[in-house]
Amino acid sequence: MDIVRFELSANEGAGRALSVSSLPNFFDAANALAAKQACRKKGALVHPSSYEIDDGDLLELSRAGGAVVFSFSDVLSERGFRRSILISKMRLLLTACRKRGTGFLFATLAKDASQMRSARELTAFAAVLGATDVERKEAEKKITSLSGASAKLKNLAQVEK
Amino acid sequence: MKPTERFKRRYISFSLSLEGKPPAYPEAKEIVHSHFLSFFGESGVSSLAFKLVKYDAATGAGILRCERSRTDEAILCMACLSEWKGAPARLEPLSTSGTIKRL
Repeated sequence: MDIVRFELSANEGAGRALSVSSLPNFFDAANALAAKQACRKKGALVHPSSYEIDDGDLLELSRAGGAVVFSFSDVLSERGFRRSILISKMRLLLTACRKRGTGFLFATLAKDASQMRSARELTAFAAVLGATDVERKEAEKKITSLSGASAKLKNLAQVEK
Repeated sequence: MKPTERFKRRYISFSLSLEGKPPAYPEAKEIVHSHFLSFFGESGVSSLAFKLVKYDAATGAGILRCERSRTDEAILCMACLSEWKGAPARLEPLSTSGTIKRL
């Protein structure tokens, strides 16, 4: 299961990835202030653009039951030295999340089908960032549980219509 | 060399496409070699024990070798290829095995 930034059609495997629009608790944190505000929300999924979140904010996020989202498409969009700096920031953030007990997810956040990656590639991404097998499986369970929550929201919306 | 002293190998089968079509062998070799070189650097590639073992230009399928403990890094490197000289490219890992025969 993956999280993407576009709506998947039935041909493209709509059941195999969640769209960001179907997750009301997903927040793109463009700066430190936005990350601070997002971390306070209950069950928030925070995607920091710079992969720098204060320890205090991580603790708040952990208390709120939220998680940090590590995006593979951010790695794809960079090249060379900038890519290596980004990966190193991700590694540091993952260590900080582990220290504070904050959850984390690994997703592509693909903007189109060409940026989507297979489960094996996401597993390798998680491993290179330093996640253990147990942590990776927890992250996968989180995404699967999100899909259930998202489906319930969709059903509710349809019933309301 | 004694078997205990040899590096342990993993073979990864992949599918390579450039603009939706499999490239010819010389271009495929250049793509894979230069991509791994830019990702790992010269020292990294040497410690990775990287080798392009096989490539079929008709289907775009191939096999590469890496050191067993660095399979995840090799797969991440392959996943990071999204374009080549401005054209969309994809190096998708399909499966891994300790022997070529089982791929």
